[in-house]
Amino acid sequence: MAAKAAAFKRSSAVAVRNPKLQQTLHHVVRHFTEARDAAVASEFPPETWEQMRERASSIKLQTLLNLDFYLDMVDRNVRRNGGHVHFAADAAEANRIVLDIAKRNAVKRVIKSKSMVSEEMRLNPTLEAEGIVPVETDLGEYIIQLAKETPFHIIAPAMHKTRQDVSRLFQDWLRSAPTDDIKTLCAIARNALRQQFATADMGVSGANFVVAETGTVVLVTNEGNGRMTTSVPRVHVALAGMERVIPAIEDVALFLRLLPRSATGQRITSYNSFISGPRRASDEDGPEEFHLVLVDNGRLNLLKDERLREALKCIRCGACLNVCPVYQKTGGHAYGWVYPGPIGAIVTPAMNGFARGADLPFASTLCGACKDVCPVKIDIPKLLLDLRPEAARRTGTWAERLLMRRWVDMMRARESLERSSRLARLMQRPLSREGVIRRSRLPLLAAWTQARDFPAVAEKSFARRWRDGLSRAEP
Amino acid sequence: MTTQPEASPAKEAFLQRIRQALGRAEPATSPPDHPPLKTNLVRQEEKLRTIRAKVEARRERNAERLAENATKVGWHVHRVETHDEAAAAVAAIAAGLHARNVVRTAEDCFRQADYDGPLRRARAAPIILASGRNRSRDSLKATAFDADLGVTGVSWAIAETASCVIVPRRGVARLASLAPPVYVAIVGIEQILETLDDYFATVRLEHMKGRGHVAAYANFISGPSRTADIEQTLTVGVHGPGVVHMLIVGRE
Ligand code: SF4
Repeated sequence: MAAKAAAFKRSSAVAVRNPKLQQTLHHVVRHFTEARDAAVASEFPPETWEQMRERASSIKLQTLLNLDFYLDMVDRNVRRNGGHVHFAADAAEANRIVLDIAKRNAVKRVIKSKSMVSEEMRLNPTLEAEGIVPVETDLGEYIIQLAKETPFHIIAPAMHKTRQDVSRLFQDWLRSAPTDDIKTLCAIARNALRQQFATADMGVSGANFVVAETGTVVLVTNEGNGRMTTSVPRVHVALAGMERVIPAIEDVALFLRLLPRSATGQRITSYNSFISGPRRASDEDGPEEFHLVLVDNGRLNLLKDERLREALKCIRCGACLNVCPVYQKTGGHAYGWVYPGPIGAIVTPAMNGFARGADLPFASTLCGACKDVCPVKIDIPKLLLDLRPEAARRTGTWAERLLMRRWVDMMRARESLERSSRLARLMQRPLSREGVIRRSRLPLLAAWTQARDFPAVAEKSFARRWRDGLSRAEP
Repeated sequence: MTTQPEASPAKEAFLQRIRQALGRAEPATSPPDHPPLKTNLVRQEEKLRTIRAKVEARRERNAERLAENATKVGWHVHRVETHDEAAAAVAAIAAGLHARNVVRTAEDCFRQADYDGPLRRARAAPIILASGRNRSRDSLKATAFDADLGVTGVSWAIAETASCVIVPRRGVARLASLAPPVYVAIVGIEQILETLDDYFATVRLEHMKGRGHVAAYANFISGPSRTADIEQTLTVGVHGPGVVHMLIVGRE
């Protein structure tokens, strides 16, 4: 368990030694950051963009502070629209709800458009165990599903796959001819998935936003699979983290300006769907049943902590991943769960009560690039710092913990600091050269000196030099 | 339409846990202060009057802006003076594709001119996609999936984002603008709004006037279906139409 809880160190070390992965990461991350920067800078003066972020942040925070009120509003309005609302405390309950709906409707095949919550729930294996076939229809997710992997990036789940990888997967699973042409690969997927769309009995989608005032689920997509999923099958189930709520329909404009620009550098995505319940009697097509499942699954851990609460403002744009120097080197899988990158380093340990990702709060240089791009102004570095004491308690070695405790004691009092410094001066003599300790081979010290020189304790303390006349030497 | 039964115990427990997490024991008695939720019908109607006046005064400018933005995101934009010209343009597109299976919806624009005649003459007589009377749900689906061209009107277009807003209803099937590989949207110049805010203010007013009733579905179409999921290479037409035409009808 401990190994699983704190696996980043090992998994990231593997990732940085994979040259192919490094090349792809470099390419993709640059593509995303350049597109985002261009989209933001070319259209808004910096002050305007800043005001938009500020407003979005405050709307999200106010909604979280009144989440009970707004969820009740969602519930009432979705039901007024003729839909059903379910509240799921955890992944198991959410799975049970979806399975119930599927069984009641004798569902054999489920088409899915992208839903991170369904990844949290591990919905696909749950459905499969009951003999129901789930089919991912977002091209990236489809590739990942065929490869039996998990998403590599919130926005680009299959970014680590080359066209050759995809061609091989399609040859194996769809018996298609080998090809190097991306257009052809897309066409192969289109044809394979069309049959699935036409025959599935249930569609499962995520939800980018849930509008409380109108009981509307908003989907932001590019491929059109989201529209298929929510229009063609007889039953539509939308899965939403409970923090997806925004109050009013007029708030959507702001978020639609922030999300695509931050995510892919687009002014708007090709499709935005606004789903308010099942088809009405007079409609020509559309699902006859609509269900919204609101999922907690550990979000309460964040909500109840005044400092961590703001992480729930996240609109999952992925911008913080792309600019993160750690993510840029390790990629998404190293983070070990559904949400990678800086935001993942917060929500993974917090949502899972540190049973996962306990070492993730350290997977950051605290450079602050994530904070600068975040469209809802989450102070990610600060939250990572807030999580570190707990993370250290969970992951540090006993020797390190002991050392740190001694360190704190030592720094607390003048005499103890001086006494310790004297002792350190004596002990470091065989190790230090020109004021630094280099590449020590002693246990514990080795890790601290492996990548940088460890400054030795100065021969003369500052206080000493001050007393000896440093102050008078200044002009 | 039936309203579903009242709140479940699961909901109550769920909301109670949230209240506890927020340090409150009781449900909030007054709604939180959120300005967009506070307006009343009179003020919203006033807002819409301003929007309409603005849109009317800037029709040509907005049409140009729509055309420019639409071209940037991959729409093929055609500007025509009349619906008769638009009908000819649709037929020309169908002929260029050698389309045989054309589906269309039944919005108002199709009554402004004879759209079907020119199509028929191009040997592409359209089928109106409707599940009524003699067409079952499955056959509607099959017809839509077999079509090589879909033609629809729009409820609105938004210049800021190059979006056509489709609101499915009687006579307007969702699949007409989704299933065929090529899609044509017919936009009347009077349907063009300037910004996203204009659109959502309109929806808000309809919602208020309809006493909380909204359309089951609305969709923005803002260019061709696209993906960059393989090596970040942009490819169009992955699930929805890969080729999209926007006919802007009318000039000021
Ligand atoms: S934390 Fe901010 S930047 Fe990162 S995914 Fe969420 S909204 Fe985007």
